[in-house]
Amino acid sequence: MKSLVLLISTLLLVSGCSKQNSFDEREINLISPQKVSGFDPINSSDRYSGNETGKVYEGLFEFHPLKRPYELMPNLAESLPTISADGLTYLFKIRKGVLFHDSPAFPDGVGRELRANDIVYSIKRLADPKLNAKGWWLLDDKIVGLNEWKNKNSAEEKTNYSEEVEGLKSLDDYTVQMKLKKPYPQFLYALAMPYTFIVPIEAVEHFGKEFLNYPVGTGAFLLPKFEQSSMITYLRNPKFREKFYPSEGEVGDDKLGLLADAGKKIPLVDKINVHIVVESQPKWLSFLKAKDDLLEVKDVNIQQSINSDKTLKDEHKEKGVRLILKPMLDVTFYAFNHEDPIFKNKKLRQAMNLAFDRASYNKLFHENTAFEAQGPIPPGLGGQTREFKNPYVKFDLEQAKKLMVEAGYPGGKGLPVIVVQTTSETISRQQVEYFEKCMDKIGINIDLGMNTWPQLVNKVSNKQHQMYTMAWGADYPDAENFLGLLYCPNQSPGSNGANYCNPDFDALYKQATVMQDSSERTDLYEKLNEMGATDAPWIFGFHRTDIYLAQAWLKNFKHMEFNHSQFQYLNVDLEVKKQLIKKF
Amino acid sequence: MLRYIIRRLLYLIPVLLGVSFIIFVLFNLVSGDPTAVLLGKNATARQMADLRDQLGLSKPLIEQYFDVVRSAFTFNFGYSWSTKQEISQMIIQGAYPSMCLTVPAFIIATVFSLLISLVVAFYRGKGIDLFIRITCIAGVSVSALAYILFFQYFFAYKLGWFEISGFEYGFPDFVPFIALPAIIFILLSLGPDVRFFRTIILDEIYQDYVRTARAKGLSEITILLKHVLRNALIPVITYVIIQIPSLILGALLLENFFSIPGLGGMTLNALNSSDFPVIKAMAILSSVLYILLSLLTDVLYTLADPRVKLK
Repeated sequence: MKSLVLLISTLLLVSGCSKQNSFDEREINLISPQKVSGFDPINSSDRYSGNETGKVYEGLFEFHPLKRPYELMPNLAESLPTISADGLTYLFKIRKGVLFHDSPAFPDGVGRELRANDIVYSIKRLADPKLNAKGWWLLDDKIVGLNEWKNKNSAEEKTNYSEEVEGLKSLDDYTVQMKLKKPYPQFLYALAMPYTFIVPIEAVEHFGKEFLNYPVGTGAFLLPKFEQSSMITYLRNPKFREKFYPSEGEVGDDKLGLLADAGKKIPLVDKINVHIVVESQPKWLSFLKAKDDLLEVKDVNIQQSINSDKTLKDEHKEKGVRLILKPMLDVTFYAFNHEDPIFKNKKLRQAMNLAFDRASYNKLFHENTAFEAQGPIPPGLGGQTREFKNPYVKFDLEQAKKLMVEAGYPGGKGLPVIVVQTTSETISRQQVEYFEKCMDKIGINIDLGMNTWPQLVNKVSNKQHQMYTMAWGADYPDAENFLGLLYCPNQSPGSNGANYCNPDFDALYKQATVMQDSSERTDLYEKLNEMGATDAPWIFGFHRTDIYLAQAWLKNFKHMEFNHSQFQYLNVDLEVKKQLIKKF
Repeated sequence: MLRYIIRRLLYLIPVLLGVSFIIFVLFNLVSGDPTAVLLGKNATARQMADLRDQLGLSKPLIEQYFDVVRSAFTFNFGYSWSTKQEISQMIIQGAYPSMCLTVPAFIIATVFSLLISLVVAFYRGKGIDLFIRITCIAGVSVSALAYILFFQYFFAYKLGWFEISGFEYGFPDFVPFIALPAIIFILLSLGPDVRFFRTIILDEIYQDYVRTARAKGLSEITILLKHVLRNALIPVITYVIIQIPSLILGALLLENFFSIPGLGGMTLNALNSSDFPVIKAMAILSSVLYILLSLLTDVLYTLADPRVKLK
């Protein structure tokens, strides 16, 4: 036992206690809740990998860090594009003097200037059949000649990038022309997403298969080499162009201090450390110990952060911590498989919606921070109106039982056991168990199908499910991204995992999705939202809320759904940090 | 002995063939099509078909099986499907943090367990024996997760003695990060190890040769250390060596909670993303390690007990 004590003492001595916070460098400390699998923009398929890619790479456009509703602003493009009268030809002027990061990929290791050819190359790379990019869906069948180029090259041994694509041309060093097959109102959003961020051909060729570990972008931060570790450190790009913090924002931003750095050259910090922390407890404890400056609060930590009236708990207030609570652009749902004959019965679907007690669910799993989804479109996007109340999104057991009789299943008689597929995580299991309890009240027997993530995806892709539960987050701020979940041609293996088909809905959807943003299109979106809602293609769940805690010294953080480019605007107040750190 | 070693090494061939077959069958029959997971939420049928071609999943099954066999014998596992990283590099990068944590912790835990077992065997039936037995049973009754959550909260957060999570490469930089998970590893190992070693030592203590030694007037300490321990070493060696592959493969829970970028987390990620090449590589490596270590066990038997002859 003495030896054990000796060993522990030695370990303590060598460990020299935990590391202290730094006040010398203008650095910020962030958390990524999942491992980063590499820095190839064309495969940055989720929010977290996009956040990392966005620190080193840039796109033609970016979302304004302060303005809401979300507004695009030119980034590598000098201005918004000139669009032809038919809405099909886009002319982009590229910003001059933008430099790629220094890298051994370039002659003498010095980054060269960004040219129009780089934009053409990066878009072609997204279509390269040899790379099978996760982001290809964004431009699939959109640009004239690009699909043909992809198909032709899939038969070739090596992709031929020098072959011209009719709808994708550089007219000179600073001008790119893109021609669309049909109107694509979300096109500019696509050019602000990490999938279309610009990479130099030299780096791709120099590093080959290792390119994803040697990011060479034009972004505000540098990462010479990426290694799987518990922390990624980005350094300020000393050759970053003259780019300034915006001087305009949303009403109220000034009061919140979000315009204090207006007009200053960005980036405002020298270093960003991203800690890869998967589990909730270490994330939470690291934030409480001020090791991290920002925390996305989830699950068990919600109760520890906020009171029942959604205000910040006193113990955090005392330390100057700020609470940021903003609705997410997402929707959770229990989807029926409409190819199962049972679920062709609309009254059954409506009855199940009515029997789902969302209020208790919200309290139990979201601490009342989520909003009941009335339809597929979340609040904040055109097409979702506050006035619209889905008649089946309420807890009404009597009406549910009545509908069960009308559906031909009085008290659930004659209905087989319904299996709801979910992932095997504890929280997912608990949520389906709650759902099971709700359905039991109208005589429906639910069985829980637990799966690993690949198993669940496979079952949905192959239509081997009766019901499944999932959430969908916005790829870009357009309701089309949510309505597409109910569009028949998108059925499995596409995003319409419910395999819902409604010809009226489809006709209206096709009409709306080629329209530019206008009040007419919003009207159509509203109609689609109501149509999708009342037909009960899913059991509607919630639009969840993002909850963030930010340390007092972290400046310029504003909730942003599409935050790939946000990090270059963050700042740190070292004086405040020095004063407050004693409280931690 | 050399002939024995060569023969045992040749066993690797049928074992690797068998392992390749099992992995192949499990992957093809149980796990289904990986392309939907690999392509993400907006996958199209066409894209999935293209990816299947590219990954070689459209080839005849026999060809696919030979690909698995080839990689088992050449150790060329190629690139990860999900991260696109080179698998050998991923394994090297992940093995280092995993082993920084598990190897020293394992050695310390084994030595301590043996010492404690000798003490309780010496005092068998007395208060200290009872106390340690009860402590061990109580220890193994609590879930590993509870230890991790409590120790991380109390020692790292409340007392600030250790880092909460993270890892740095290079000695001694990694020590502050692995100290607490290593202590938890040791504590988690002590319970089952002490109980197992105590049983083995007690089995020996009641043998005739111990009575003879006592009759000759040897002290209890001499009997324990010189005779009993030596005879008990064979099952101890088996028990210890059998655990080595799991050390290299990482301590998944500890790695996850302490953000140690080891092989445990890598394997879990591979399972969650249908990353067959990584799963395959880890399964093959484990089998090879297992065989090599069981061979090492046999060789160590001859050192522990000269009566054992390898033929």
